[in-house]
Amino acid sequence: MRKRSLSMAARKSREAYCFIIPAFIYMLLVLGYPLIYNIVLSFKNVNVKNLTKGGAIFVGFQNYIDLFQNDTFVLVLKNTFIFTIACLVFQFTIGFALAMFFYQKFRLSGPVRGLLLVSYMIPMSVTGLLGKNIFSNAGLVNNLLGKFGVSGPEWLVNTSTALIAVIIMNCWVGIPFNMLLLISGLSSISPEVYESASIDGANWGQRFLHITIPLMKGSMLSVLMLGFIYTFRAFDLMYIMTAGGPLNSTDVLGTYSYMLSFTQYEFSKGSAVAMVLFVCLFIVGLFYLRLLSKEDD
Amino acid sequence: MKKRLLTTGIAAMSLMVSAMPVYAEGSPTEVTLWHYFDASADAQAIVEWVDEYNSLQSDIHINCTYVSREELMNQYTIGALSGELPDIGMVDSPDMASYISLGVFEDITSQLEEWGELDQFYEGPLSSCMDSEGKLYGLPQNTNCLALACNMDVLAEAGYDHVPASLDEFKEMVAATTNADNDVYGFAMCCISTEEGTFQLLPWLRSELNGESVNVDNLTAESAINGLTVLGDFVANGYMSKECVNWTQADAFNQFAAGKAALAEVGTWHLAQTDTIGDAFKYEFCMLPTGDAGTSTSTIGGENFGICSGAENIEGCVDFLKWLCSKEKEGEWAVTAGKIPTRQDATADYTYEQEGFQVFVDEMNFAQARGPHAEWPTISEAVYTASQSVFVDGTAPADALAAAMEKITPIVEETPLP
Repeated sequence: MRKRSLSMAARKSREAYCFIIPAFIYMLLVLGYPLIYNIVLSFKNVNVKNLTKGGAIFVGFQNYIDLFQNDTFVLVLKNTFIFTIACLVFQFTIGFALAMFFYQKFRLSGPVRGLLLVSYMIPMSVTGLLGKNIFSNAGLVNNLLGKFGVSGPEWLVNTSTALIAVIIMNCWVGIPFNMLLLISGLSSISPEVYESASIDGANWGQRFLHITIPLMKGSMLSVLMLGFIYTFRAFDLMYIMTAGGPLNSTDVLGTYSYMLSFTQYEFSKGSAVAMVLFVCLFIVGLFYLRLLSKEDD
Repeated sequence: MKKRLLTTGIAAMSLMVSAMPVYAEGSPTEVTLWHYFDASADAQAIVEWVDEYNSLQSDIHINCTYVSREELMNQYTIGALSGELPDIGMVDSPDMASYISLGVFEDITSQLEEWGELDQFYEGPLSSCMDSEGKLYGLPQNTNCLALACNMDVLAEAGYDHVPASLDEFKEMVAATTNADNDVYGFAMCCISTEEGTFQLLPWLRSELNGESVNVDNLTAESAINGLTVLGDFVANGYMSKECVNWTQADAFNQFAAGKAALAEVGTWHLAQTDTIGDAFKYEFCMLPTGDAGTSTSTIGGENFGICSGAENIEGCVDFLKWLCSKEKEGEWAVTAGKIPTRQDATADYTYEQEGFQVFVDEMNFAQARGPHAEWPTISEAVYTASQSVFVDGTAPADALAAAMEKITPIVEETPLP
């Protein structure tokens, strides 16, 4: 009897593998191959002179050592983290506040919420061009500041303000996205929970801290993790708005890797930068999976 | 019965034969051509010209595809590995050396030498189609250079009735025409952190000072430092907007066309866009006064066409290149697209801006090529980064150029510039 149930379990497990195999092969080809190719490339010295003629040699970790000794790469890495963290903080906080606001039932709540989504629906390249105009010296932002008697900075020209302008434009796109996801999270909380808490005498702050936040933990975590992954690999916004300049002040790992590989034809160095990007995102992904499994437990 | 079977058989055979694609002897080879012409005039012209060539011969049938410049360059790089390349490809002249090195283009030296018309091409544009051994991989289809556009109304208000004749006079005019209250700058140019920026910066770095001028392999020379100092001072004194570090060449021209810059560094192709100025103000063009009195420097631009590796019918594709770059077609294209022919024997009868075109044609005598060098993009990056550090951070031009030379020197020591 025991033997029979074992063989049934084994058969079921075989069937399960049959279902997994197509997806596994797909993943292996579409994700595994380019990833392995990229890893191999990052340990060689492939450049414009030897890409097709051959002669590229294995250089071990030399590309990575060169990168971390290069001031530009260190600046780019710093920019990427500043950009990601700043965007996450502002997008999440403002997105959460808006989600709480629009979750209330009031007249025109739906249409205004829909209007806010417009910035999320605009292609990033268009957002980049808009940002380039809005933050130019005589652009909308400085014009508005001028009306209040404030002389605005040269946003996209100064190395200290260019990244701020790019962060603001990215938040403009990211806030509605955060709001949308967080509203879905809020909708999943049963109104009865709030009702019973109110009957027990809980005020707004207590309801927010002890009901909303704990019950929204899963949604918040998803929004933050997705936001991190999406923002960390940013490319098109800075590519259009500033081309990574001035003086690499808005260069991030995505644009820098692209510049090394496709503008300077330093393919191995570009791959090494892409690997650094991948490793950072992989760690965040693992962290997310671990938190999810803890939630499930 | 037999007869009916035979009739049915013949009918079936006829049907099969008629349904089969015709690959009879003499049918043209399907050829793909990728280009990035995106201005209305040249984008339309390339399609019409390809149709015309298709109707003139039956060896190849060319299918013309537009791919944006950035995407086209990426496709060449990817295609160098995957082999997925068009048969005929367009490329920006300074990039060609890199793609030759990547193996994107076929060596067509023998076919072009047999043609016997290579000596008619200007040396600069033709050299951009060669590798370091002098082998040819394509033909220069159009060329252009940079000159100075002057708003004569603003100059008149500042007390000048002529275009600048020397660097000193140019500096004076830039200072005199700047009007901060009206947001009018004396000078506008593109210094963006791309090849466009390098293209516009090079005339100043390769300017002539006390009879001496240098190439990018010696940017710590006094003449190069002086050239960058002139531009750095413009920015520091507010005569040129710091925003030039984000301006493309189109942006710089738009500043001039909108009356926001009295003088601007512009390209030949902008002559086809002067209708945007209309009657708003009087304008003239003159050679770039970059150095000693009576001297000028400029940079050669333009597009080349090459035959990509693995092309099916190389001979047929080369014939198309010869036709496209023939004496008559070169002249015609220059007028259509607002460019300069790459051949000395071609005549371009410009129907508009004739005086302006003459300035650019004269300027071509002082225009220098970029490279050709397989690692030009890295050299270019060093050039625009040095200039941006002067404009944005206020770095001393000598220090900025010394930093650039730290990147450039190992490259040119390994493979010297021609």
